[in-house]
Amino acid sequence: MNLRLLLFITFTLIQTQAFAQARIQGKVLDEKGLPLPGANVQLKGSFDGATSEQDGTYQFETSLTGEQVLIFKFLGFKTQELTISLDQNALKIQPIRLIEEITDMNAVTISAGAMEASDASKSVILKPLDIVTTPSAMGDIMGAFQTLPGTSTVGNDGRLFVRGGDASEVGIYIDGMRVGNAYGTTTGNVPTRTRFNPNLFKGTFFSTGGYSAEYGQALSSALALNTKDLSVRSQGDLSVMSIGGGYSHTLANEKQSITASANYFNLGPYQGLIKQEIDFDSAPHGWDMELAAQKKVGENGLLKVMARTESGGMSLWQPLPGTENKVLVDLKNDYTYAQANWRTALKNDWIVFAGISYSKNFDNLAYDSLIIERKSELAHFKGTATKDFSDRLSAKFGAEHFIHPYAEKLVKEGWERDFDDHETYLFTEWDYYLNKDLVFRGGLRAGTSTVSEEKWLDPRFSVAYQLSDKGQLSFAAGSFHQLPVENFRVLNTDLENSESNHLILNYLFSKEGFTFRAETFYKSYDQLVTFEGLPDSPEGLKNDGSGYAKGIDFFFRDRETFKNTDYWITYSFVDSKRSFNQYKTEVQPSFAPKHNLSVVVKHFIVPLNSQIGASFSYNDGYSYTDPNLDNTEMNAKTKSFQNLSLSWSYLPKPNLIIHLACTNVLGRDNVFGYTFSPKTNTEGVFASIPQGQVAPRFLFLGIFLTLSKDKTANNLNNL
Amino acid sequence: MKKSILTLAFVLLWIAFAQASDPAFIAAMQKQLEAKNTIATFEESQAVTNGFLRIAEATETEWLPYYYAALLKTEAVFRFDIEKDKTLDEALELVKKAEKIAPENSEITALHGYILMGKISLDPGSRGQSMSPQAMQLFGKAINLDRENPRAVTLMAQMELGMAQFFGTGPEKACGMARMGLDLFKKETEKVTKDYILPTWGKSQADEVASKCN
Repeated sequence: MNLRLLLFITFTLIQTQAFAQARIQGKVLDEKGLPLPGANVQLKGSFDGATSEQDGTYQFETSLTGEQVLIFKFLGFKTQELTISLDQNALKIQPIRLIEEITDMNAVTISAGAMEASDASKSVILKPLDIVTTPSAMGDIMGAFQTLPGTSTVGNDGRLFVRGGDASEVGIYIDGMRVGNAYGTTTGNVPTRTRFNPNLFKGTFFSTGGYSAEYGQALSSALALNTKDLSVRSQGDLSVMSIGGGYSHTLANEKQSITASANYFNLGPYQGLIKQEIDFDSAPHGWDMELAAQKKVGENGLLKVMARTESGGMSLWQPLPGTENKVLVDLKNDYTYAQANWRTALKNDWIVFAGISYSKNFDNLAYDSLIIERKSELAHFKGTATKDFSDRLSAKFGAEHFIHPYAEKLVKEGWERDFDDHETYLFTEWDYYLNKDLVFRGGLRAGTSTVSEEKWLDPRFSVAYQLSDKGQLSFAAGSFHQLPVENFRVLNTDLENSESNHLILNYLFSKEGFTFRAETFYKSYDQLVTFEGLPDSPEGLKNDGSGYAKGIDFFFRDRETFKNTDYWITYSFVDSKRSFNQYKTEVQPSFAPKHNLSVVVKHFIVPLNSQIGASFSYNDGYSYTDPNLDNTEMNAKTKSFQNLSLSWSYLPKPNLIIHLACTNVLGRDNVFGYTFSPKTNTEGVFASIPQGQVAPRFLFLGIFLTLSKDKTANNLNNL
Repeated sequence: MKKSILTLAFVLLWIAFAQASDPAFIAAMQKQLEAKNTIATFEESQAVTNGFLRIAEATETEWLPYYYAALLKTEAVFRFDIEKDKTLDEALELVKKAEKIAPENSEITALHGYILMGKISLDPGSRGQSMSPQAMQLFGKAINLDRENPRAVTLMAQMELGMAQFFGTGPEKACGMARMGLDLFKKETEKVTKDYILPTWGKSQADEVASKCN
């Protein structure tokens, strides 16, 4: 090589870099051709570039020459590259249109039927913390959900009732795995609670209908609870309550964490102080132990394991209408739940999930001299794979298998009956974004059951459209199947699925601090179980019932208008009629009051380090059959249900919380229905007993202390 | 002779190409840092952020441009009327990119905590419980990584002050940390030379905490 030439080139190169500056200018537009300010324009591999101005134009100078690549970048838009040829002259670049990328952040989400409680969700309906700070909930997950649209409060039951559906129509899942017997077993009008402590969960997804093809065996609603990921730090949490106490300890590092806890409760001492309406022989009591562990596996994988076992019981004297006699009812319950699940992201935008769960419930119920034992088990195996084909199209595929044995026996007589069902499901769900404002979702779920010898198919469809910056409209439709409850199936194993079809139209408006939601729905019921006789001794069970539920509900939440104050108002109207159980005609079920209202207010008083809360629930009464009126069914209605609850949480120190709460402060004598004697008395009247509350009020006092090296820790989440 | 000319040519060539890594990088950074000091509108903030991102893109191995881009986004949240949560999430993404290039860096760790502080301030009621300990942990880690980092100490002082105010306890601990931060800022000023492009911000925050102390 000619050395002189080499030197010459070298010097020219340096010179070019030092002196020749060519001006590049152009314009950046969005999809619609409007100017796009703020985009970053740059020559690849160099510092030369500029930001587009308000009118979309940009200009900058460069000393580079030859073939170069111009990059257009803007967060939320697809990056574009343009090869240009540079000499030392000014260059005008053709206008570039950037296409917006569809992401979780900017795209419309389907909100028909769906309510998400997580810190991440865009519109705030319910937050995880609300579950522990809603006064009427008393720390029960379902109690908090009873303040949301589409639900009704049935105070002597405690479970979740959604839009004219009975409590069994709500499917409960933890990390996508079905939970069998999620509520504690109860008897004699004592309301139950969810077995699971809200502090296990980082978020919940609650659907009041039209939900994803991933879930099934629930005619009304799916409730998906998602457990926490890795714990941040090691700590101990101690709770001392008016009804018991517990301790939980967490060990954590960056790769894994484990929490072990044990609790004991006994309402005996409390009930000794405060008179109860129910005559308890032995107050509700129980203990539980729980273990939850999380571990990072590989770069993107997470393994979660959870196991819980508990035991409890109660016994009470149940009055009989028309007599002075009482019957002793004694209940013992043992319950175990365990699950493991693993999720990881693979290459090529695949996410896979595998899970296994097992629930076992054992009840021993003595009713006078009659002793009944019930044993139910549910094993669930599930695998899913999700693939993002592009930012517009994604698909989920899944397979599930359930093993579900059930047995009940009369201990003294030695009579036993059982069934052992195996169910298999396949499902798929596809999301397609036409653009970021319009999404379609189609799903299909197929199932089989060995006991009912059936195969069925549930198509589901939904669409969401962004109307404006803050408002959106969604629509959902779908078909849902559910096998009858265990104690019916065991009597007649030929019973098939009940069926429901949903139509839902939803409007959602959300902006910083405000959420407004309105939803109207229609659902049909078919193949409901009917029988002769009363629910304790049903005969001739058939899939012969049908019905409908329709209505509208409104929800408004405001965290902005009043300082340190957060409140929400819910009104739900449900018009539901069905022929089911012993009812020959289509009647309004006792668990579906027409007008339902709830108001929750929380206010933080800074100088007192306190949060005070109030919640008020109202419905217009429960229907029941009064044989003294005429011989039609559901011919009467109780007076309205009203409950005002108050709570006070005081944080004297970062790691200490004192929580005081009282339900039904006004002491309203709520009645949920009446029990009538089977025969008339001497005056020709059917005597009755109201089904009321356990006590006019329930008072709760708890002290929660967090022990950790980090003094800022407290266990507000553990209330 | 021939050989030395060849060497000279290569040396010159090397200088011509290596510009991208050292003086040119510093010059480019300084240009953006100067522009950063005069930001008055969100558009200007965005333009400077983009400037840092261009440098990040071109160098690929420098953490500072990502760091400053993240810092600018965080400061923009406190100064301008923009989508705050989204912008802080973007800042977090940039911090993660910086962390990938320079793991276990005290400045990046402190900034990470600062962004979490921003997230907490948007919804203290529901985020405070879970995110405050995370932020505190990050500040603690940042101090351990570099005991001379005045920003880590100052941000920790800010958190301590907020907590002392909330729980009605005395600000002594926060004050002590703020004073320590101010001392470290004084030390840092001595290090600053013409070519200094490492972070130097945060003194006003320390002053503010200190002003609450008597």
